[in-house]
Amino acid sequence: MIRLEQISKVYSRDGVPVTALRDVSVAIDSGDFVVIRGVSGSGKSTLLNILGCLDLPTAGTYLLDGANVSHKSDAELSHVRSRKIGFIFQSFNLLPRTTAVENVGLPMIYADQAVSRSRAAQMLARVGLAHREHHYATELSGGEQQRVAIARSLINDPSLILADEPTGNLDESTGAEVMNILHELNDEGRTIILVTHDEALARHARRVLLIRDGLLHESEVQA
Amino acid sequence: MNILPFFRSLVRGLSRKKARAMLMMAGVTVGIASLTILTSIGESTRRETMKRFKNMLGTFDTVIIRPGSSKNRGMVSLTNVEPSLKFEDAAAIAAQVPEIRQVAQIQNALDIDVKYRDHSGTPAIFGVTANFLDLRGDQVANGDFITDEDVRSLTKVAVLGADASKQLFPDEDPLGKIIQIGDVPFVVHGVMVARGAGPAGGSLDNLIFIPVTTASKRLFNRDFLTMLIAQLEDASQGQLAIDHIQALLRTRHHIAAGALDDFNLTNPKAVMEQVTTMGSTIRKLLLVVAILATGIGGVVITSVTLIGVSERRKEIGVRRAVGASRGAILLQFLGEAVLLSLAGGIIGITIGVGGTQMVSKFQRLPFLLQPAVVLSATALSIALGLLFGVYPAWKAAMTNPIDALRD
Repeated sequence: MIRLEQISKVYSRDGVPVTALRDVSVAIDSGDFVVIRGVSGSGKSTLLNILGCLDLPTAGTYLLDGANVSHKSDAELSHVRSRKIGFIFQSFNLLPRTTAVENVGLPMIYADQAVSRSRAAQMLARVGLAHREHHYATELSGGEQQRVAIARSLINDPSLILADEPTGNLDESTGAEVMNILHELNDEGRTIILVTHDEALARHARRVLLIRDGLLHESEVQA
Repeated sequence: MNILPFFRSLVRGLSRKKARAMLMMAGVTVGIASLTILTSIGESTRRETMKRFKNMLGTFDTVIIRPGSSKNRGMVSLTNVEPSLKFEDAAAIAAQVPEIRQVAQIQNALDIDVKYRDHSGTPAIFGVTANFLDLRGDQVANGDFITDEDVRSLTKVAVLGADASKQLFPDEDPLGKIIQIGDVPFVVHGVMVARGAGPAGGSLDNLIFIPVTTASKRLFNRDFLTMLIAQLEDASQGQLAIDHIQALLRTRHHIAAGALDDFNLTNPKAVMEQVTTMGSTIRKLLLVVAILATGIGGVVITSVTLIGVSERRKEIGVRRAVGASRGAILLQFLGEAVLLSLAGGIIGITIGVGGTQMVSKFQRLPFLLQPAVVLSATALSIALGLLFGVYPAWKAAMTNPIDALRD
């Protein structure tokens, strides 16, 4: 499903080039559950952004479902994000002053399919928040907000879920709930790629990759 | 992208920041309202001024000759003019100035008592020649105007202005009745069609026409005129005619070189043009003021939208992550600016139309709602939103989603 071939990313920070990724090559199968571990500044967020088509590599080739997305235009990449990728963030990133169900429905505006409020409500029910439809983001607990964010990531039925420290802002038990939902999604056949610095989360993965100084290494399978 | 839900979410988004939306709309509202009022009032003032001048002066292809060196703008009459303009002057101008087709002679007086049975009034008395009707472009409603024969034979016939007729004959047909002008009896031969208001807003219909010769010999006993109206052969030759008439009258009145004229000449068309140019200068000035106000409204849109963009970086990042292209973000912020600007504009137009109605009533102008003004104000509001929203929207579109999400 995903093939990275010698992906490099060089940033310019205050005019000084900074290498975030060095010749990263990896293949991730459809339906896999992958944890990418790395400390802060290791390049793991950069890798996730490239995987999520939010960023383009400086060099190398990224094949997503067989299509080369490393040189696509902004509009084309947006289309790919809209149809194939769901994002989950550490800080949930729900829109303020917007109800849960509106947050969940947001990606439909940018997709080709028709916008359906009932579909958004279904997604909310699916993450156990049917009773929270008309609550604003600020009225929800952290765990609830993250579940709304997961529902939002699912609304366009993506095959790939990218999670950036999804439990980082949650306590242990709500974090566990979120991980359970991710497992369910994986069981449905969706590919999950989760980026974290937390060693404990690695046990959820079928496959663990380590990233350090922009270099990606295979780790031994944990579970 | 789904346009309709996108549009709905725009409106919902705006309704969540009401105070800010109001602020953005306010500038445009004020600008568009003042623009609407100014252009509407300006146009109806111009038209009304034209109409009133036309009412007073009749046709414009004339030169007006009055006694005295100063161009006093008030109503002339026998009691307040120099006795310099004679009947022979009128004949000489008609005969000797090639640009002039014909000359109407006028001898008028105010404050003469007029009576019919127990009704009385003091309409202005105008001794005129028969061609006055043609030169003024007036119309007789009933009966006949003064004829050449009346002028030749000094008949005592009168033609009543609409107001004078109403005053003296509130409930009778005036034709054939005998009225007393001063102590002299006149037979009413006709009644005029109303002329309406003059430039100052007063009535132009409280008057009575009689033959100018009768006025001179039988009523006032004066051998000078209060005004001549000389009709041009060609409306564009006003200045040439004025020069020739001036030369002729100076010779006839034996005025030494360097001395002042004892008459004055005006071309109504020139006066009219002067008045309307002045009007349009004021209009232009007011227009600049209104455009400034609208421009300030536009700048408010830019700055408030810019604040919104920097506050909503995270939202931009989220929208980008869930599939929004740069174009979609651009459209969102531009759409917000246009929507607010248009809403502000529509409120402005409403206020403007209301304001125009008020000012019209206050200044006794006809209320004139021009579709062109409403349409261009609407178009202007949209254009303002586009023009002043495009930079913030472009900034929003160019926001790097990764940086925005990291904030």
